[in-house]
Amino acid sequence: MEKTIEANIVRFTHLLRLAGIRVGSGEVIDALNALTYVDFSDREQVKTALRSVLVKRKGEREVFDRTFDLYFAPLEERERHQMEHQMRQDQKKQQIEEAQQDLKFEEENLELTEEDKYLYSQMDQEDKERIKDYLQKAEAGKAREWEPNVKPLIETIVKGALRRWLHSHPDQVDLQERVSTGDQELDYILEDLGQKAPSGEDSLMYEDMQHIKDKDLPKANMLIRRLAKHLVTRISRRYKRSKRHQLLDLRRTIRDNIRYGGTMFKLKYRSKRIQKPKLILLCDVSGSMSRYASMVLQFIYGIHSVLGNIESFIFSDDLERISQHFQPGSDFNQLMVDIMNKSRVWGGGTRLHQSLKTLRKNHPAVLTSDAYLIVLSDTKTESIGETLHELRTIKKCVKDILWLNTLPEQEWQNSASTRAFQPLVKMYPSNTLNDIEKLTRSKIFA
Amino acid sequence: MENIRKGFEEVGYITDSEVIITVYLALKLEKPILIEGEPGVGKTELGKVLGQIFHTELIRLQCYEGLDENKALYEWNYQKQLLKIQIMKEAQSCENVEQDLFSQEYLLERPLLKAIQAEKKPVLLIDEVDKTDEEFEAFLFELLSDFQVSVPELGTLTASHIPMVVLTSNNERELSDGLKRRCIYLFLDYPTIEREISIIKAKVPDINEKLTEQIAKAVHLIRQNREIKKKPSIAETLDWARALLTLNEDSLSEKLVKQTLNILLKTKADIETFNKQIGAHALDEFARS
Repeated sequence: MEKTIEANIVRFTHLLRLAGIRVGSGEVIDALNALTYVDFSDREQVKTALRSVLVKRKGEREVFDRTFDLYFAPLEERERHQMEHQMRQDQKKQQIEEAQQDLKFEEENLELTEEDKYLYSQMDQEDKERIKDYLQKAEAGKAREWEPNVKPLIETIVKGALRRWLHSHPDQVDLQERVSTGDQELDYILEDLGQKAPSGEDSLMYEDMQHIKDKDLPKANMLIRRLAKHLVTRISRRYKRSKRHQLLDLRRTIRDNIRYGGTMFKLKYRSKRIQKPKLILLCDVSGSMSRYASMVLQFIYGIHSVLGNIESFIFSDDLERISQHFQPGSDFNQLMVDIMNKSRVWGGGTRLHQSLKTLRKNHPAVLTSDAYLIVLSDTKTESIGETLHELRTIKKCVKDILWLNTLPEQEWQNSASTRAFQPLVKMYPSNTLNDIEKLTRSKIFA
Repeated sequence: MENIRKGFEEVGYITDSEVIITVYLALKLEKPILIEGEPGVGKTELGKVLGQIFHTELIRLQCYEGLDENKALYEWNYQKQLLKIQIMKEAQSCENVEQDLFSQEYLLERPLLKAIQAEKKPVLLIDEVDKTDEEFEAFLFELLSDFQVSVPELGTLTASHIPMVVLTSNNERELSDGLKRRCIYLFLDYPTIEREISIIKAKVPDINEKLTEQIAKAVHLIRQNREIKKKPSIAETLDWARALLTLNEDSLSEKLVKQTLNILLKTKADIETFNKQIGAHALDEFARS
């Protein structure tokens, strides 16, 4: 491997990209140029110089610092880290092999993924015994007599048990997929970066909002409120600029220029008024969305604090208007208590079709041709057909329907409701705070 | 780099090595500095201070929603052109009138053009760039990469000295990647207690050491609270210090905090949050600890 400064910086920037920092090739050149002006023997100077040219977001600073400290660590430390990484890899391999020995049905290996076997290896002895016991009983039951192809069934049951165990022990095992660069040194740094992820804003941004731990909720709530503000600040600035942006006001121009003998000395213009789009927010607070509830309210609160022209509703079995609670300067905690106490729909089932019908029947004045309807929901609802019908009817009344889907994007294909609604509305993944941050950068109101 | 450090010290801008290195690199690489941070951490002040350090003109472009090229770059002096036309009506020869009317004499320079045409390398402060529209931002990053503008009637005007550009943003909205790529980035956070003590000492020299330390600690505690929306800026800390000095106080007390809190917190909601979640008594105790 080349050991020049250039090669080192290129590898370092490659690592930064893998760690999630956007670095362009122009910035790599800037970094190399910057290094010619700083004192190489001063580690802090080099770090600051690289950070100022390679990192362009506040949230990326922490990741940069950790990556820098790992990549430019003293040689002995790097070798030690590399050795530890190798040992961890070997240990994991061995655990998977041992799991394979246990997970057999009639002397045949069960068809399980490496991930499943790793999951098994991380289980407590008691849970392991339960699965082994089941496999023994299945063998003893001579199931083959009535079902010759019973092995796939056994495999499905074991997989189900493993997933159930994972669900109840989410913190006990790290299943994060890591990109292998083919370079052992970079791989161990990536692994280290993943393991020592801080419980700060960075990691919260990428975590499924449903899995955000209770202790991190205040921080997540603050982030979502800030993102909601960013989102609507962008909306409120949006206006179409055309060549006719400034129209000459002939009447006022002639009147004002009479004093100059009719020479058009002072021109008067008419400016087009900036039209801020009207928003109707429809947020799902049904049982399946319960974990998101406080974040949903933060989201609405954040939007209300910037934009006045907004109508907010929550829904589960039916629809409820909550705009009246969001008065300027209102205290969020009090507001949340008020809404939860007074609400009849909090934590109920999901009947979106009924909620949309109520919106159409009881609040027709809000459904205007310049309004955007924003739905924040995981799409899980009863009566998909009727919901589709309601969505079609409402779409004719409003400018557009935007759906912020809290279901992870990879699960969209398996969700019948998501597949059904997708062609009709503009759907955006909103499963993590990072998804919402992306929304603030995209032109969703176009 | 040492000269920049001395320059900052001479004008009384207390800062750390990160700021110095970033400014130094921006100068060497001839790139704009994009400064982000909470309101009141000294972003705009840094731009002003650079003008003082390098004894050069500070050209400021204050951004706002709806700012366009006419207001930022140049405009033709329409009234002056009209007057000229009126005068020329009487004259016999009208040769070269058109060429004359669109000469530099009739050009109204706005901050960006002024910075490009300056005779000595100026400091161009583009303040609160996040308040502009995306179209203007796109125009800006074209200008910042080439430092030249095209005026159709005059041709291309290229900067004789590349200005020292400082862009500030309160991070109200995400700036485009294009603009960020062209800049060197600096995030200014609220100062640490130690640095804030140095700032107070530099700006309010008559205040005693004990009170200085208590003020810095108290402000730090208020800024830690997530629910307080408008956190006290450095300028507000200094105002508080001056107010306490005017009141001839040499130490904080619960009563004093209650009486002067409105210098630090400017909204009713923030004062209520403070009373509920921190309280004057706790603040006083923390500051004295």
